[in-house]
Amino acid sequence: MSRIELTRLRKEFGPLVAVRDLDLTIEDGEFIVLVGPSGCGKTTTLRMIAGFEDPTAGEIRIDGRLVNELEPRDRDLGMVFQSHALFPHKTVAQNIEFGLRMKKVAAGERQRRVREVADLVRISHLLGKMPAQCSGGESQRVALARTLVTEPSNFLLDEPLSSLDAKLRRELRAECDRLHEELKKTFVYVTHDQEEAMTLADRIVVMRDGIIEQMGSPMDIYGDPASYFVADFFGSPSMNLIGGEVTGGDGRPQFRGGRFVVDLPARFAVRSGPVTLGIRPEHVRVGAEGPIRDTVKLVEPLGKDTLLYFDVESARPFVAIVEGLQLANFRVGQPVGLTFTEDNIFLFAADGRRIADRA
Amino acid sequence: MALTRSQKRTAFATVRHAILIVWLLIVAFPIFWMVSTSFKPDREWFAWPPVYISDDSTLDNYKIVWAGQSEYTEHVQTQSLQRPWEALGNSALIAALATTLAVGFGSVLAYGVSRHNILSEGRMFQLLMLRMVPPIVVVAPISIWYAFWGLLDSVFGLVVLYFLTTLPYAVWMSKSFIDEVPREVEQAAEVLGASRWQTIWEVVLPLVRSGLVATFLFILILTWSEYLLALLLSKTEVVTLPVELSKYQGSTEGRVYGRQAALAVGITLPLILVGLIIRKHLARGFSFGMVRR
Repeated sequence: MSRIELTRLRKEFGPLVAVRDLDLTIEDGEFIVLVGPSGCGKTTTLRMIAGFEDPTAGEIRIDGRLVNELEPRDRDLGMVFQSHALFPHKTVAQNIEFGLRMKKVAAGERQRRVREVADLVRISHLLGKMPAQCSGGESQRVALARTLVTEPSNFLLDEPLSSLDAKLRRELRAECDRLHEELKKTFVYVTHDQEEAMTLADRIVVMRDGIIEQMGSPMDIYGDPASYFVADFFGSPSMNLIGGEVTGGDGRPQFRGGRFVVDLPARFAVRSGPVTLGIRPEHVRVGAEGPIRDTVKLVEPLGKDTLLYFDVESARPFVAIVEGLQLANFRVGQPVGLTFTEDNIFLFAADGRRIADRA
Repeated sequence: MALTRSQKRTAFATVRHAILIVWLLIVAFPIFWMVSTSFKPDREWFAWPPVYISDDSTLDNYKIVWAGQSEYTEHVQTQSLQRPWEALGNSALIAALATTLAVGFGSVLAYGVSRHNILSEGRMFQLLMLRMVPPIVVVAPISIWYAFWGLLDSVFGLVVLYFLTTLPYAVWMSKSFIDEVPREVEQAAEVLGASRWQTIWEVVLPLVRSGLVATFLFILILTWSEYLLALLLSKTEVVTLPVELSKYQGSTEGRVYGRQAALAVGITLPLILVGLIIRKHLARGFSFGMVRR
């Protein structure tokens, strides 16, 4: 059992408030991902849980026990750092063994457990090497093993994959997922990569400027973003967001922005005024006919899908995804019709909050 | 005429090597001259044109300085003042104690500065500025206080003074090495269950060892060769080697260069020996970790 509770947790660095009165409960065995742009307070939050930063105010409880005053080693945690933080003067085996030695585990038992955990993360062949002889991916596996071997109830991972290349990152991401499945321990994972958050998390906590912007399952976050910020942050390619205005108010609302005029579903509780319309690229249907006429500006084949770019005279290009390699069907300059699937249209008010559907 | 890239590289390398060779000659010549003079008989010390390598090499200078052999009966009086082995012992004791203290305290202080900001940047700079004060400025007040405290002509007095005057270097140098140890490596040890002392002993110390050894040698050289303070604060009872060196001046024939050279070789050799013993640390330490991954 291990449950981490943060109550009105606050951290100030001089005049800068890094974390603002955060409330968060992380359930036993949960894989939770703190995600947000740099400076949003996610790493500071993690470091407060670890005990490397003292909160300015608020409480941290692990299993109901107040740990604010406890040293990191007494909090029953394991931590994996972005820089791996291996001990460069010790062999891989000695690195992994370190935690056991500190906990005064007998030598024979230590060796057995080192071998066991090395098997688990598939680095048995590295045990005799020095960290400098390991590649980035291998180093991160060693760092994982070093943490796993002490069998903490909670794992804190601070952007563990961000120093690796894309292919390794996917590989180790899957590894993290597998380890979580196998160990059934609590994982708190910090990243700025929305894709990592989406693929790994049971629950995503989106942070911005020291507060929680939205919290929920990956599907909630992706399909039901609470704000412009969240809508924009998740998804690749990101959601199309077009600034404009609503006219018609309560009766038959209509959106005008850039070159677009879109009839809005009557479900929106919206008044006339400035709004941002959001629609994900996969929810734009492209065909010969459609209520919105435009011409293809650029065709970007991705292999499995094709991205079509349109110029709508807004700050960012407007993107639609069509399935398959559609080079023959869509050419630059070709006039097409666009249809927005009604259920997937989002509206955001000027302050970034989502405009709710009429219940 | 345009040079190709490889020709340019060769040209640069040639110039670079030429400059380095000239520099090496400039640096190495005094050492060569010292060693060569120490083997010269009296008449060649001031010979013109200079004698670079004597045809009548002799060990007389060494015998007279280090074995106490006396050639000249008229020098009996000066001879009795010269006690090179005692000076060597004093120097070794004082330098070793002062350097150990400076590096010991300095590195602990540096750790505090590096990790816990116990001294602000301004304070650290003041610490270094302290060392910029010319020793001659402070030597008068120190002599007075030392006389008052009865510290003149004592090993303890010099050790304290050398410890305090080299401490700023020790702090600055060891801090530069400690700064290089990533904090996360220490935090990794902490979260794995290591206490503060275990972290320092198992993780920090092994990583800064080379740097501390380099710092040690640097400060050892400073204290070993210090002359002014030693001359003024202790010149009769506790004599160090640099002060001893100044005593080899005959009253009739002026400076006895051959003897001084023989003593100077004896002063230099221990440092070279220490350097050899710890040489594997030096390349890493004196590069200030730039080679380290």
